This record gives sequence, C-alpha cells and structure tokens, in this order.
Amino acid sequence: MTPTSGPARPAPARPAADSAMRAVEPLSLLTLAGVTKSYRDPMTLRSFTAVEDVGFTLERGEIFGLLGPNGAGKTTTIKMILGLVRPTRGTIRLDGRDPHDPRARKKLGYLPESPCFYDHLTAAEYLGLVGDLFQIDPAVVKRRSGALLERLGLAGHARKPLRKYSKGMTQRLGLAQALLNEPTLLILDEPMSGLDPIGRAEVKQILRDERSRGATVLLSSHVLAETEAICDRVGILSGGRLLESGSVTGLLAGGVREWEVVVDGIKPGGLADLEALGFRPVGVGAHQVIRVAEGNALQELLGHLVRSGAFVHAVEPRRETLEEHFLKALEGTARSPKGDA
Amino acid sequence: MTPIVAIARNTVREAVRERIALVAVAFGAALVAASQVLSPLALGVGPKIVTDFGLAGSSLLATLLAITLGSTLLHKELERRTVYAIMAKPIRRAEFLLGKFGGLWATSAGLLLLMSLMVMALVGLGYREAPWVLTGSILLTLIELGIVTAFVVFYSSFTTPGLTAFFAAASVLAGHFADDLLYFGKQGGSRALEIATTVVYWVLPHLTLFNARGLVSHGEPVPPERILFAASYGILYLGALLVAACAIWDRRELR
Repeated sequence: MTPTSGPARPAPARPAADSAMRAVEPLSLLTLAGVTKSYRDPMTLRSFTAVEDVGFTLERGEIFGLLGPNGAGKTTTIKMILGLVRPTRGTIRLDGRDPHDPRARKKLGYLPESPCFYDHLTAAEYLGLVGDLFQIDPAVVKRRSGALLERLGLAGHARKPLRKYSKGMTQRLGLAQALLNEPTLLILDEPMSGLDPIGRAEVKQILRDERSRGATVLLSSHVLAETEAICDRVGILSGGRLLESGSVTGLLAGGVREWEVVVDGIKPGGLADLEALGFRPVGVGAHQVIRVAEGNALQELLGHLVRSGAFVHAVEPRRETLEEHFLKALEGTARSPKGDA
Repeated sequence: MTPIVAIARNTVREAVRERIALVAVAFGAALVAASQVLSPLALGVGPKIVTDFGLAGSSLLATLLAITLGSTLLHKELERRTVYAIMAKPIRRAEFLLGKFGGLWATSAGLLLLMSLMVMALVGLGYREAPWVLTGSILLTLIELGIVTAFVVFYSSFTTPGLTAFFAAASVLAGHFADDLLYFGKQGGSRALEIATTVVYWVLPHLTLFNARGLVSHGEPVPPERILFAASYGILYLGALLVAACAIWDRRELR
C-alpha cells in the first residue's frame, strides 16, 4: 500500500515510449486519493466529518488491514469504495473505474459488518440470487455454491431458512456469497466477528488461500492479534484520518523491545546478587524469569548467570505487537470523529 | 437471468412465503358466501351484482396489498441492511428499484388474477353467463395496479413507510376523482383556481380510464381501442413515475 495525501495531481506529459510502457503496467486494483466524507445533521445543520483526506493504493495479491477503533471511519471508507456512499471530496478508482459503475464491481466480493441476508431464503437460494446478480451460469453457481458451503461447514444447512441461522452461520454464509464470483478483490468488514476460535482459524486459512489464488483482500478489523497474523500491510485509521500505513514488519521495525531470560538452578543467595546488580527475577512456576531491556544488560546478566552456575533455559526476544503499536499510534489523537460546524 | 428479473423474483418469493395467497382464499370464500346471500335478493340481476362486487373487491384488495407490501419495500431493505450486500454486486441502483417494482407488480397482479378467476368461475359456472366478457376489465385493472405500484415505489424511494402508504393511497383516491376536481375548478368562478385545478388534473393519474366494471357487468365487452389507449397512457404514466423514482434512489446515500 502506498499512502498518498490530498487530491490526485494531473500526471505530467510522458514521452510516447513511456506511455507504451504504462499501457502494459498492471493498474492498481484500488486507489483512494484525498477522500473525505462529511455529513450534515438535518436537524442542527452541523457538519460531521466521518473520513478526512484518506488516500492509499492497494496492489494486487496482498492482504491489507484497515484498523481502527469504533467510529474511526473504516466502514464509511469501505462504503465509499463500494459506491454505497459518495465521497464529499477526493477520488476513488476501483479496478480503474468509478465505484458507481457496476462493471467496477464485477470481480469484487464483499462481506458487510454483521451481515444480514433475506431470511425467507435458504443458503442455496441466496447464493443462487447472488449468482444471478453476477450473471454467472446457473450450473456454475450450483457447483461453486456446493463447494463453498462445504468449505465453510454449511453443507448440512443449505436448505435451512436463513432466519434459523446463528450469527456465526450467517457470517460464514456472508463469506460464501463474497467468494461466489471468484473475486480479484475481496472486501471484508470485520470478518472475524461472531466466529468461534475454530471459525476464525478457518477464515484466516481461507484468506491465505485467496491470496495464494491471486486475490487481493481488504479487511477492516479491531481484532489486532488476528490481523497481525494474516495482513501483509495495514493502515491505522482514527477520527476519520489515516494515521499510519505500511507493511506489518515495517511498522513493527522498532525491533526487539526486551528480552525474557528463563533461568533455573539459582544458588542460595543468587537472587539477592541479581537484585543487587539491578535485575528483578520473578518466580514463574519452577523457573525464574528476568526481563532486560538493553543488549548490554543482557550480556551482563548472561555472564553473571553462567559464572554463578545457574541453568539458562531460554532467552526470548519480545517484539512490539501490532496491538501495542496501534495503541501507541492512537496516543494523543482524538478517538472520536470531528465536528467542524 | 438479468439482475432486474432476479430481484423481482426474490420480491415475489418473499411475498409468497409471507402467505399473501391466504388473502385470495379469504376473498374467494367471502365472494361465494356473498353471492349466496345476495342472489335471492337480486331479482334476476345476480350475475351483475356478483360481477360488480367481485371485480371491485378484487381490485380494492390488490391495491391495498400493493400499498401495504410496497410501503416497506425499500425501508425494510435499509433497516435490515440486506441492501448493502446486494448493491455491492455489479448492478445499477435503477435495476434494483425496477426489480422491486416488477416483483411487487407481479405479486399484486397474481393475487388480482387469482381473485378475478374466482369471479369468472362463479359467473360462468354459477350463472351460466359468458365469463370472458370480464377479461377487458381485468386487463385494465392490471394496468391501474401498475400505476399504483409505481406510486408506491416512487414515494418509498425517499420517504418513510407510513408516509409512503398515506401518499400512495391519497394519489389513488385523487386519481379516481380527477374529473370531479376539474369540474369543481371550473365551477369555482376563480381563474386562478381553474388554472390550479387544471394543472393538478393533468398531473394526477386518470384512473377512471381503467374502470370498465360497469360496462362488463352489463355483459358488454370493453372495446379494444379503449384498452389500447388506457394501456398506452398507463405505461407512459408509470414510466414517468419510475424514472423519477430511479433518479431519487440513485442519489440516495446508503449509510
């Protein structure tokens, strides 16, 4: 993902050869430039900015996580990408087209947040309707529906009315309908919501499989531990603004935060010696755990432990998690969207 | 299958699964019961009364069904958030709305046909009269039902279910009294009032054009040229309503 800021500038004139090169370059699957969405309260006429000056580009074959607390603007951003809501300012290009152009959504799969489907239909009928909307051959729809329902553990419930589905089953059906057209871009709004740990693991595997197939995935989430495990890149939204964006490894490049040394067999008086050197051993089960923040201190600790005859079980580096990074990024920013009346 | 047909089929399926056909069954039972009660009192004009009562009743019930089912048509989609997953598919907003219109018209028309068949069966089997005379009137009512449905879709594209039902019912009622409105405007003595009522007269649908029940109840068929004229007018009128509804729905934010 390449972050951008402000409206897209007109491209400078290019020589003919360069233009020819550009013609064969793959277009970005999704581009947002300077996208802002404001609403006006019809009663008070006060303006409310849900999303402000958001810009990024999504390349093919990556899993990108749009992260942020509740009210950060994730769902509004997704709705603008889908053409459900029009941006007040800025441009969005979905597969090179305006999102309001139905052709832009031909190879798009979308799972809404807390999805709701027609409860008078069965799962098989709903997938049939979705196939008709994509104008896919009914025989192909039938084949793909069967495979998807099987893959998502709903094969035994294909003929059950959706009003009898649990939240988790509805979420799985949401994923099935999003995958029916074998999309090149999959947009998932809180895909882990309502799923048990097994369901979450299955969804993560499906997302990895889709990436292997060549699909690009844009997912919004506030379950950061889940996101960290599957996303190639993330963008952190807060108060409608994109605070930070980049690859997960890039954002967490701060490296090792501290080391955790697990020790056993400390001789009598050894603990007091360690404390005298400034270390603070903590008893965890049969072991002592000592945390050190700096490399020099680690060297000193390990030397002391070896000399004193203690047994070092493990030295584990502890890195910053995405959750810790996320909370750090949010520090000092307003958590609520802005009113600019 | 085109997206419009797919949406229409889903709308019909939803109505059918809400067991609206029970309305037709109840109507049939009421019709048979009423004919049994009224026939001895009709002094030889039993078929006329049954035809009049049956066709007017079926038209009224189908109209009420179109208004009640249609007033929540879009509101329910937005409230239950079913529309988001659908509109993320490669379909135009207008296609969604036209599908909803088609499904609603097909549902109310299906109910009307079912009830009309009951009237025809009663007239043909019960009174040994030629039931096919009624077909012209039934056809005109089907077109009128299309206009009613288009009104419902038009109002539901921008307002609440309650207001949609109210405006649609008011439009239908006013459409049946458009000629009277013009007459009162001319009798009022004010030039401004006459101009105003004339404008309203031309804006309102001329629904009396679709009422041939008096004609067929006397055993007279509806002339084909009247059906042709009414059909042309009806299609133009409902087409204009749908164009306006699509323009409004297209600009609506699906928040």
